Amino acid sequence: MPEPCTIVIFGATGDLTHRKLVPALYNLAADGALPPAMSVVGFARRDKSDEGFRNELEEAARKFSRQTINDGLWKSFAASISYHRSEFHDLAGYESLAARLAEMDAARGTRGNRLYYLASAPDQFEVILENLRKSGLNKAGDGGWARVIVEKPFGTDLPSARHLNDLVEGAFPEADTYRIDHYLGKETAQNIMVLRFANALFEAMWNARYIDHVQITASEPLGVEGRAGYYDKSGALRDMVQNHLLQLLCLTAMEPPTGLDADAIRDEKVKVLRSLRPLEGAEVSKHVIRGQYGAGAINGKRVAAYRDEANVDPESMTETFVALQVNVDNWRWAGVPFFVRVGKRLPKGGTEIAVHFKSVPPVLFKATGEAVDDNVLVIRIQPDEGVSLRMSAKMPGSSLRIEPVKMDFHYGTSFGKATPEAYERLLLDAMSGDATLFARRDEVEEAWKFVDSIRAAWKANPGDLAFYASGSWGPAEAEELTKRHGTTWRRL
Amino acid sequence: MEAAVNEPGLPVEIGQIDWELGRLWESSDDTKSRASLLNLVIYSELPEAMDSNTELIATIASQHAFRAILILADPQAATSGARAWISAHCHLADKGGHQICSEQITFRLDGESASSLPNIVFSHLDSDLPLCFWSQAEFREPLDEQLWTWVDRLIFDSATWRKPVEQFALAQKILSITDGGTVLCDLNWTRLHRWRLALANVFDHSAALACLQEITRVRIECALGERVKALLLLGWFSVQLGWRLQHLLSENFFLAKSGKQIEIEISEAEGAGITFVELSGEEFRFKLERPDAAGFFHASLHAPGIPDCTMTIGAGPDRPGDILLAELSRGGRHPLFAGALDAIRPLLPDMVARQ
Repeated sequence: MPEPCTIVIFGATGDLTHRKLVPALYNLAADGALPPAMSVVGFARRDKSDEGFRNELEEAARKFSRQTINDGLWKSFAASISYHRSEFHDLAGYESLAARLAEMDAARGTRGNRLYYLASAPDQFEVILENLRKSGLNKAGDGGWARVIVEKPFGTDLPSARHLNDLVEGAFPEADTYRIDHYLGKETAQNIMVLRFANALFEAMWNARYIDHVQITASEPLGVEGRAGYYDKSGALRDMVQNHLLQLLCLTAMEPPTGLDADAIRDEKVKVLRSLRPLEGAEVSKHVIRGQYGAGAINGKRVAAYRDEANVDPESMTETFVALQVNVDNWRWAGVPFFVRVGKRLPKGGTEIAVHFKSVPPVLFKATGEAVDDNVLVIRIQPDEGVSLRMSAKMPGSSLRIEPVKMDFHYGTSFGKATPEAYERLLLDAMSGDATLFARRDEVEEAWKFVDSIRAAWKANPGDLAFYASGSWGPAEAEELTKRHGTTWRRL
Repeated sequence: MEAAVNEPGLPVEIGQIDWELGRLWESSDDTKSRASLLNLVIYSELPEAMDSNTELIATIASQHAFRAILILADPQAATSGARAWISAHCHLADKGGHQICSEQITFRLDGESASSLPNIVFSHLDSDLPLCFWSQAEFREPLDEQLWTWVDRLIFDSATWRKPVEQFALAQKILSITDGGTVLCDLNWTRLHRWRLALANVFDHSAALACLQEITRVRIECALGERVKALLLLGWFSVQLGWRLQHLLSENFFLAKSGKQIEIEISEAEGAGITFVELSGEEFRFKLERPDAAGFFHASLHAPGIPDCTMTIGAGPDRPGDILLAELSRGGRHPLFAGALDAIRPLLPDMVARQ
């Protein structure tokens, strides 16, 4: 169990707090994973009372919590929540917060331990960090600690990420900085290392000798919904590839770490990022496909084109779909392409890593005319977290007929208990001082370096945006990407 | 064409189907297991075909484990709408009372919603498993390339087509979209399986076998509107015996390897399917008949060197479920069908136009 602490959430009236953070904290409390003295302070601009804030959070928790809210438990959990109104730029607000936290420390015995969560709009990060530093809130009390969790997006390109890193570094040492990528908090993402390094069956084959290619997909049927303002400036490459998908790629491709401590693992991930073959200039149009959804149909209903969505520039060139071939130029992965795709308004929602093994030699069954499908190991990150393995089997009967079959493992049913939400694990880790599942400065910057060169090529050649119908699997050009390697995108 | 629709299962929100299916299996007792080895999509533009298709799915579920996606579309409906239902087909797997179940998702797509067919298919497949797509409606342009690229086995029934020449051309176009990756499965061809077996059986006799090289005339009688089936049988002869079609303006005939000319005659009469096949040469005559869609063939052979003989050969079951079962069970590619179709393709415009 972590030490008692106070969690201060900046941007406490926002969506993230209501949908994810408070339900996650409630679930942790319900599971008995939080110290009773822990307290939560919401910091935001709007005027509201502690009571009003708690009522809003209760309503949200009832809606978004994976566990049903128990009235008694909520009452006790809510008693630890308070609200602090202040403008983000107002230093006095931080000073009064410091006084309030000191009182709470005394009253609740939280020992001066502080976890600051930057859940506000990214453009407020700078002023918040600056005021935390100026007010001395970034300094831990005697024997205590002060940590900061920074939500994505961590910058918009390499220079801005470096600038933000410098700001964070000016207020908190790297060891106390937790850059959150909620994908890493998912059980299956954590299971990638166990699957790879705890199973001789897989580790022995986890290399270019046996693996033909890897596909990483993150698809969703939703459009931009209420995020158009942010998304139209960001696009799929920066919103998803730079962080979530490159992190999954790192976990899939990294070498065995020397230990399970945070830096041993992050050292290996950063090596993968440094091994990525840079995509620049003409290579980008060959290996990266970007698309934008047009009108189409999802689940039998017509949906609008991206450019017709509210708050989207009618001539927007923002990509809602990216497919790219990534090469990891190291000994283990030489010649093995990693196909990565992400998109909105696709037919199915899901994030997965599919490891496609090489074909068996084309003898023996070739004479029978039977096509033998390659083995595919699929790690499902969401929804329905789990792992499946496709293999070939003879169909019962007198004739030799080979069909693909699946061995399936579902987290939801195999362990007889509910899988915790990613934010539960990540909040608990941050409170416990375990940064394993958080990105380090060099990881973030290496990822931006890779992505920035793609963006630079797009900027130089803006005409290569392909359009796809909503409800389809993206532009036809994406099919060509895998076709060149003699394969196709996996059917989710 | 608005038809009354009986509820074919539990009505569900389309966006919630996976979740509802998960709930369905979680709530079922321990004696039931979900099984799936393939995705079977049946697409029909006859809403009234819901019951017959559901019955057919239930029949084949006893021998194949699959996820069935039945899509009933009415593109001409005045109002647009999409509805879905889920259900399961279970059968006893052993004496212990354990049941193996296949799930069925039924969609009704009206008006503009019918155009969302590709999305409906993509969204509801059981991942990684082969996709068999049975189009009970005729193919229409423009063809959705992404959809057809995903289809492993494209099932159709050329016996039901109003314009077979165009439809075969579109099927061929789909094949070229998929770089030949899709297997074309014509149930009309599958129905010929028993005819082909019976014909081959008769020629097992070595003396009869020699007659195959002496054939100079083929006569096939089929039911009204069944010329495509007769032509496919003719195509089969062509592939198996190495005949080459001579497609002339005035007449059509085959040339045997020996250079011998083989006349062809296809006529229509009352009945069902093919009713009569006669192969003849200067000194022999072979007839195979299936009167009134009987459960057997009646064969007779008159050839030099062997006594005249007659025989009765079982015709096997040929209800729609039996034919689909046969197709799904056989699997593999269909080079013989492809060859037979290629052999008679030039005859289709003339011969089928006469229907």
